[in-house]
Amino acid sequence: MNAIIVKDLVKRYGGFTAVQDVSFEVAAGQVTAVLGPNGAGKTTTIEILEGFQAPTAGTVQVLGANPRTAGRAWRARIGLVLQATSLDAQLTVAEALTAFGSLYADRRRVGEVIDLIDLAADTRTKIGALSGGQRRRVDLGIAIIGQPEMLFLDEPTTGLDPEARRRLWSVIENLVADGTTVLLTTHYLDEAQHLADRVIVLADGRVVADASPNQLRAMGGVPVIRYLLPAAAPQLPAALAGHVDPARNELSLPSADVTADLAALVGWARENHVDLTGLEIGPPSLEDAYLALTENEGVTSHV
Amino acid sequence: MSEVALRTPRRLPGLGPVLASQLRYQVTILMRNPRALVAGLVLPGALLALERGSAQHIAMAQAAPRVAGLIALSVVAIAFFTHANTLVIAREDGVLRRWHASPLPTWAYFAARITATVFLAVAAGLVLILVAMGLTGLHLSGHAVAGLLADGVLGALALAAVGTAITALIPSAQSAQPVLMLTYIPLIILSGAFGSLTQLPHWLTTTMTYLPVQPLINAVSGVLLHGGSLMTAHDLLVLAGWAAGGLLVSFRFFPWDPHRPGHARRAGAGTTARSA
Repeated sequence: MNAIIVKDLVKRYGGFTAVQDVSFEVAAGQVTAVLGPNGAGKTTTIEILEGFQAPTAGTVQVLGANPRTAGRAWRARIGLVLQATSLDAQLTVAEALTAFGSLYADRRRVGEVIDLIDLAADTRTKIGALSGGQRRRVDLGIAIIGQPEMLFLDEPTTGLDPEARRRLWSVIENLVADGTTVLLTTHYLDEAQHLADRVIVLADGRVVADASPNQLRAMGGVPVIRYLLPAAAPQLPAALAGHVDPARNELSLPSADVTADLAALVGWARENHVDLTGLEIGPPSLEDAYLALTENEGVTSHV
Repeated sequence: MSEVALRTPRRLPGLGPVLASQLRYQVTILMRNPRALVAGLVLPGALLALERGSAQHIAMAQAAPRVAGLIALSVVAIAFFTHANTLVIAREDGVLRRWHASPLPTWAYFAARITATVFLAVAAGLVLILVAMGLTGLHLSGHAVAGLLADGVLGALALAAVGTAITALIPSAQSAQPVLMLTYIPLIILSGAFGSLTQLPHWLTTTMTYLPVQPLINAVSGVLLHGGSLMTAHDLLVLAGWAAGGLLVSFRFFPWDPHRPGHARRAGAGTTARSA
């Protein structure tokens, strides 16, 4: 059964085409991540699925209905976390959840949601006094208080610290375990890798890849040799030095001939008495695959 | 195409509880808004106290229009200025979009928000009446209080409806303050809230009688002077017309989503306005 069906979706703003012939289906209970650089059409697509925007052409069905014309009963079946936090700062956490909870007959208890989003200590704190991560969790709490079958998460962890992101992931994993279908957009590839069963990559308004995270990694091409260089490592041979990420001081070498490249690296290590502990050889990371895909499309990635 | 069946048939709560909850929510937000309390209560109250302090000998016949003017100032500050301003801010912050995406009926959001605004505006007006009674020795019968309540509700409703409608013309929170100030301050002054202006051209004084503030001042002034008198048919029609017109325009043109210029959409921020 499909929770989402998108067929030949097009969205234009005047002469600008934001989404061009996008088609995909999302099975019920699946977590699907939509990736892409800024301007790729992610938010436009998700807003059409949420019913905020009308498509220029094509058809969209979410939980069997057209989001633009679906009524209250349909809206009671979906939950949204919008791209930016959208809460009244004057209310407390409990007041906000109570207000939104009153819209659903089959709702979670406010206390249960507060436990789920891990804000029991801040029940009576005004939303304006919460940190960004805590507000994002309130956003998620509001999205799930009606026990939605379909959850849209538009960049849910942008701007959160690593700990807050992990907490939010944990909440999402619990919801998925209960059978909720999730469509999320994200800039974080580790988030897609961690949460998603499937990744759809958009670039310039088109789908350039639609696969599981592992399949997507395999689509990234040749294996990669990775090695975190010691702080005072001597100069690598020229063939390898060009593949060092100076920010992380890490060698990340896509290799069409692993044996030859490895021999060069081992030779350099023996000659300079460098310990190669931590050396990895494996398929390209999701990030490598993503960059390869979006660069093939001639777009500049912002990941 | 396969379709997903409902897990269980989704029941929706009755509209009564939904409306009551939304009203509680809107009143809570307004009560915690310092701008509403300062502009709608503290400022007119202070002006009233200052006026009475400097001219304690003024007869009720002269004082009534001044008191009525300050009550109108309070109602306009809450029902028009604060209401419209906070609505634009809520729209820009995405708060309205979240409500619009929820199972809350559109009309219920408007009904609760406007009712909360009217409630607070009338409550502030009554507090000012109590202050005026304390300062002037004014006595009001139950009939007069009922008349004031009726006038206040209709006046606040008209102003809140116009305030809601005008937000369709305000693209951002940044532009809300100047646009609303440019309408609110001339309207208050030219309607005679701070004393009648005898030097105004005839066309302007005539125009003011068709705008919502002067009929409110006339009605409140009439009650203060003559007890529970009804407002004139002209004033009643003007206020009812603005209320109905404002609500109609709001339902047709009110944008729930923040305004995004075309270049922002191209950069990845979606969203276009969608009418109610």
